[in-house]
Amino acid sequence: MTAEDHPGPPRSLYVHLPFCRRRCAYCDFAIAVSGSDLQDRYLEALLRELLFVSRSGAVGQPLETIHLGGGTPSLLGPTRLGRLMEALAAGFSWAEGCEVTLEANPEEVSPAATRDWARMGINRASLGIQSLSNPTLRWLGRGHDAAQGLKALGWLRESGIPQVSCDLMSAIPGQSTGAFLDGLDRVLRFQPDHLSCYELTLEPGTTTRRLVDSGRCRQVAEAVALEQLRSARARLPAAGLTRYEVSNYSRPGCESRHNLNYWKGGTYLALGAGAHGFLGGPAASALGLPAGCARGVRYWHYRDAATYVRVVGQGSTGIRSSEQLDDSQLGLERLALGLRLTQGVKVGEERLLAASRRLAAHGWLEVEGERVRATPEGMEILERLTLELVAA
Amino acid sequence: MGTPTTRIRNFSIIAHIDHGKSTLADRLLESTGTVAPREMTEQVLDNMDLERERGITIKAQAVRMPYRAADGLDYELNLIDTPGHVDFAYEVSRALAACEGALLVVDASQGIEAQTLANVYKAMELNLEIVPVINKIDLPQADPERVAAEVESVIGIARERCLLVSARTGQGVGEVLEAVVNQLPAPVGDRTLPLRALIFDCKYDPYRGVVVYVRIFEGRLESGTQIRMMAGQGVFTADEVGCFRPGMEEVGELAAGEVGYLVASIRNVRDSKVGDTITEAQRPAARPLPGYRQASPMVWAGLFSVDSDDYPDLKEALDRLQLNDAALVFEPETSAALGFGFRCGFLGLLHMEIVQERLEREFDLELITTAPSVAYRVNLRDGEQLEIDNPAQLPDPSQVVSIEEPRVKLEVVTPREYLGGIMELCQERRGEFRHLEYQVGDRALLTYDLPLGEIIHDFYDQLKSRSRGYASMDYELAGYRPEQLVKLDVLVAGNSVDALSTIVHRGQAQGQGKRLVRRMKEVIPRQLFEVALQAAVGGKVVARETIPALRKDVLAKCYGGDITRKRKLLEKQREGKQRMKRVGSVEIPQEAFMAVLTIDR
Repeated sequence: MTAEDHPGPPRSLYVHLPFCRRRCAYCDFAIAVSGSDLQDRYLEALLRELLFVSRSGAVGQPLETIHLGGGTPSLLGPTRLGRLMEALAAGFSWAEGCEVTLEANPEEVSPAATRDWARMGINRASLGIQSLSNPTLRWLGRGHDAAQGLKALGWLRESGIPQVSCDLMSAIPGQSTGAFLDGLDRVLRFQPDHLSCYELTLEPGTTTRRLVDSGRCRQVAEAVALEQLRSARARLPAAGLTRYEVSNYSRPGCESRHNLNYWKGGTYLALGAGAHGFLGGPAASALGLPAGCARGVRYWHYRDAATYVRVVGQGSTGIRSSEQLDDSQLGLERLALGLRLTQGVKVGEERLLAASRRLAAHGWLEVEGERVRATPEGMEILERLTLELVAA
Repeated sequence: MGTPTTRIRNFSIIAHIDHGKSTLADRLLESTGTVAPREMTEQVLDNMDLERERGITIKAQAVRMPYRAADGLDYELNLIDTPGHVDFAYEVSRALAACEGALLVVDASQGIEAQTLANVYKAMELNLEIVPVINKIDLPQADPERVAAEVESVIGIARERCLLVSARTGQGVGEVLEAVVNQLPAPVGDRTLPLRALIFDCKYDPYRGVVVYVRIFEGRLESGTQIRMMAGQGVFTADEVGCFRPGMEEVGELAAGEVGYLVASIRNVRDSKVGDTITEAQRPAARPLPGYRQASPMVWAGLFSVDSDDYPDLKEALDRLQLNDAALVFEPETSAALGFGFRCGFLGLLHMEIVQERLEREFDLELITTAPSVAYRVNLRDGEQLEIDNPAQLPDPSQVVSIEEPRVKLEVVTPREYLGGIMELCQERRGEFRHLEYQVGDRALLTYDLPLGEIIHDFYDQLKSRSRGYASMDYELAGYRPEQLVKLDVLVAGNSVDALSTIVHRGQAQGQGKRLVRRMKEVIPRQLFEVALQAAVGGKVVARETIPALRKDVLAKCYGGDITRKRKLLEKQREGKQRMKRVGSVEIPQEAFMAVLTIDR
C-alpha cells in the first residue's frame, strides 16, 4: 500500500536538534539557546531514545528519509554529529538512496564542515539564507549577513553534497519587492536544486509579531505579499525550479522526499525535544502509545530540551502526549495536506468531488478523475478552499 | 386561625446590586433561625443560576420567619424579595403591593444608587413605610454619616432613622429585626369578609403544577376551597395552602395579612396572572384588588435554531420555559433566510436576553435572534387593520394607507442636575415633552410621550450613562399614532434578507441604513466573492457597502509538527462555518442578524 492510502510502517525519521546561537526574531520553534554542556546531555538522551525506538519494533522497513531539523543542527559540530550519524546507521536500516537532510545556517558552513557532512552520509543540505538584504537580516535577528549567506551557498555547491536547498522569505516588513526579487536572483545564480520560498508568518509571542502589533513596524500589505509570491512563482520556472507545494520549488526529482511524505499523509518517526511523529496503530502500540483501534496516532515530545533530557534520563521515551485519529480526522488531514501539493490529492467521496467541481468552475481547483488539485490562483486562497471542501 | 394581624409584618428589601441585599436577607434568615447556619448556601433567596451570576433577582421569593421580639411576643415576619430591572417593573410593583413596609439597604461607601431610587419611589407611591439601612459599615471606606445625610436629602427620611449595619459581620442585624416589628405597620384586613388575595408571583413546579405566591388582604384561604381568578376567570380547587420557611410547608390556611403559597392543580402560569385577585368561587368578593395590569409583550423578535434540525427541540424548550414565564409568548415563524423558528414576545430586551440565555444554557440550543421590533398597526386600503410585530410581514406599500406605531408614557425620576441631558435624549428619540415636576429633596419627575420603538434598544443604557446611573424610568403603553414609517430592507449580494428588515421613521432611514450596512460589513467575514451590502427603502437603495473578495488565505508553512494544529483549526473553522446562515452564496454569521442592536447612534 502507498502512503496515500493507508498509514503503513514508518519509513521516515525526523530528529530534532534544538540548539541555536540565538533566537531569531520571528521564531516560535522548540529551540534552546545554551552552552555545550546541555548539548552533550541532550545528545546522550537523544541516543538513548534512538536506541529504544530502534528496538521497539515500530520500524518495520528500511528508512527512506532522515531529516535532521532544528534549531540549528549544523551547530552541533563534527564530533557530536558524527556520533549521532553512527547511531542512526547502527539503529536503523537505510534504504538504498535514503535521503539524509541536514538543516544548516550560513554561520556554520565552511569547506571543512561541508566535507565532514558529506563524509558522514549527509546527502542533502537545507540552508537558511532567508534574505540577502543586510538590514532585513538584522531585523530578523539572523546571525549572518548577505555575503556570508552567498559564500555558504557556494561552498555547499562545491562540497560534493549532492542536493542543496535554500530557504528564502517573502513578505518581510521593511523589505521591498525589489529587494526580495534581487535576493532571489542572486540565490538562483548558484542553481540550487530546491528552494523553499515562504512568506514570513507573524507567530504569536515572537518579537516580529510584537513589533507589528505595537505599531513600530508596518505589516506588509496583502497586495504586496501577493505581488512577491506571484513574482517568485513567475521567475522560478526559468531557473529550472518547478513548484510542487505551496512554498516549495525544485528541479525535477529533487523534491524533499521527507516533506512530501508529510504532505501525502505518510507515517514518520520522531526523536528529540518538541519532535512530532505520526504512526499507524500497530507501530504506535510498539512504542507504547495508546492506539486503541485508531488508524493513526500523532505524538509529540516535551518541547523544552532540559525537560526532555530529564524525562529520558528517568527512563521514558521523552514523548509528552499523543492523540488517536479516526478515519474522518485522517481524511481531513489528508485532504488539507494533499491540496498543498501541485499534484493535488485523490478524493474518493462524491460529496467532496462535487464540491471540488463547483470550485473548479471558478478556476480555483482542477478535477481530473478522482484527483483534485489547486490552480496557482487557488493556492493563494488554499485555506478557504480547503474549508469549503471539508464543510461541504 | 392564623397569626393575629397585629403580630404580622410584611416587608421587602430594596437595594442596589452589590449593596448587600442577599447577604442581609441571609442574616435575617439565620438570626430568626429560619435557616440553620450549616444549611446556608450563599444567597439562599436567589436560586436560579442565572440570577446568581447576574446578581439580579428574576423571580420573587417570599419567606416566613418566626421572630420573638424584645417585647417578648412572637411575630411572623414575611420577607418578600423583588425582581430588579425595568423589564420587570410591574412584577416589582405587585411584590411591593403585597407589603406594608420596605427596608432600603444602602452601601455605606457608595450611597444611594438610581435603580434603588426607582423602587423606593414605587414603594412610596404604594404607601409603604421605609426603614433605611446603611450596610457595610465595617468597610474602611464606609461613610455612614454622609450616606445618612444623602438619604435625608434625597428621600426625605430623617437621618437619625437610618440603621447602621454590617450584614457581613452581623452587626446591627438585631436592630433591623426590631425596627421591622416596631416601625413597620401591621397589615389590616377583615378575616370575615370574602377572600381577596393578591397574586404577586408564581412559578411552575413539575410535580405540583403552578405554585402561586399570594398575599391575603381579606378573608381566609383554606385548602379544599373552590377559588376563582377574578381577571383570569379560572376556577380551581385549593389543594394545598402553605408558606415558605424557606422550603414549602403546608399550613392548611392563610388568613388576611398573611403571605404564602397556593397549589391548585393549575397547569399553566398563564392561569394565575401576576396582579390578579383570587376570591372564593362560592362567595366572591365584589371587586378585585386594585392595580391589575395585563402583562403584555413590548418587544418582538424571531428566535431560530442555528441547526434547523433543532427546531422541534426549540419548540419544546419554549413550551417548557413558558410554563414558568407568563410574559413569554411565541408563535411559529418562517423566514426565507433562517428557516423555521418562532416569533417571540418579551417584556423588554433584558427579558429577551434572559430567555435566550436560558434556552442556550438549560436546553443546550444554539440560537439566532433577529433584531427586536415593536408591534405596529397597519391600515390597509380595504379598511382592514393589521397588527404586525415582524417587519417582514409589512404588506406592499401600495396597499398601505398608514402605519401607526405604539407610544408610551415614559416617567423618569432623576436628580435635577441631569434633567438637561435626559431631555435631550428624549428629544433625539422623537419624544414629546409632557410634564416636569419637582419633588421632595433633589428629585424631579419628568414625563414624556415617546415611540415605544425608540426606547426598546439602548434607551435605558443611555439614560443611565447620561445621569451617571441615577435616573430611573418606568413606562406604559399609551396608544398608537400614525407616523411616516417605512420598511428598511437589507440586501446581501442583491438578495433581500427578510430577517434583517426593520421598520424605521422615514427621516431616519438613510442614517440608520448607513450605520446598519457599515456594521454588517464589520461582522460578515470576507467571502470568495465580492459582496454588496445595501440598505433599501421601497426598492430604492439608501446606503451601500462592499465586502471585498478574499484575496489571500494560505498558510506559508506546514510541516510535520504543524499538522495537529492545522487539523484542529480546520475542525473549529468548519464548526463555525456550519453555524453560519447562507443567503444565496453568502455566509452570514449569527452576529450579523443582531447588527442593528450593536450600532452606535
